[in-house]
Amino acid sequence: MSKLDYRKLSRASRWLDVRNRKLGMWAYALNRITGIGLVIYLYMHLFVLSLLLRGPTAWDSFVALARSPYFLALDVILLAGILIHGLNGLRIALTGFGIGVGAQRALFTTLMVISAIALWVAALKIFRV
Amino acid sequence: MENPFAQETKPTSAWLWQVFTGVGLVVLLGLHFVANHFVAKGGLRDFSEVVAYLRNPVILCLEVLFLFCVTTHALLGVRAIFLDFGLSEPAERRLNQILKLAGVLTIGYGLGVTWIVIR
Repeated sequence: MSKLDYRKLSRASRWLDVRNRKLGMWAYALNRITGIGLVIYLYMHLFVLSLLLRGPTAWDSFVALARSPYFLALDVILLAGILIHGLNGLRIALTGFGIGVGAQRALFTTLMVISAIALWVAALKIFRV
Repeated sequence: MENPFAQETKPTSAWLWQVFTGVGLVVLLGLHFVANHFVAKGGLRDFSEVVAYLRNPVILCLEVLFLFCVTTHALLGVRAIFLDFGLSEPAERRLNQILKLAGVLTIGYGLGVTWIVIR
């Protein structure tokens, strides 16, 4: 039986320990953590969509619940995950193809600032401020 | 800048699929989110609005494409995370089989729900 690759295992175990890490490690950890959150959300979302099979009463009751402020706050958290993962992912794709490798720090910082601004605007819209 | 992704050896077909579906998602998820949560009155569609929305052929194609992209991207992401933990080759093959099955079931479930709703 093959053994675990301890070099990789060690690398993976560093995700959550971002103490004294450079920006790249934060970007890496953010990508993985938001990704895990979004996969969990995807399956929760698909599960909720099964309410459509139970007809208008079941779905419309859920919609009424989902319009409550607590659910809207969860929407903002979801949107934060999407923005961070999506824009950070674009950076990873670009650098993976050799584009902007030397400017990764500036690219990451810029994209995260864009994420924060977009999140702020979307949150205002979600709560209809 | 320290980049752990740069430690990967070479681009694989899985990585390329991850990138292409990811880029697709930026567009499709944007459309999905805006159409369902910003354009829709009250931020969500009621049952009759969902049915009418999905019966639009253009919307239906975009939502099916979205389902394919999001499922592929998500499961390839799960695979990448598991591979980070240094799986053996047999374990990697088993993981690939499980994730392919999960993908087929997820897309099948999504298509099934959509079909039942719009028929």
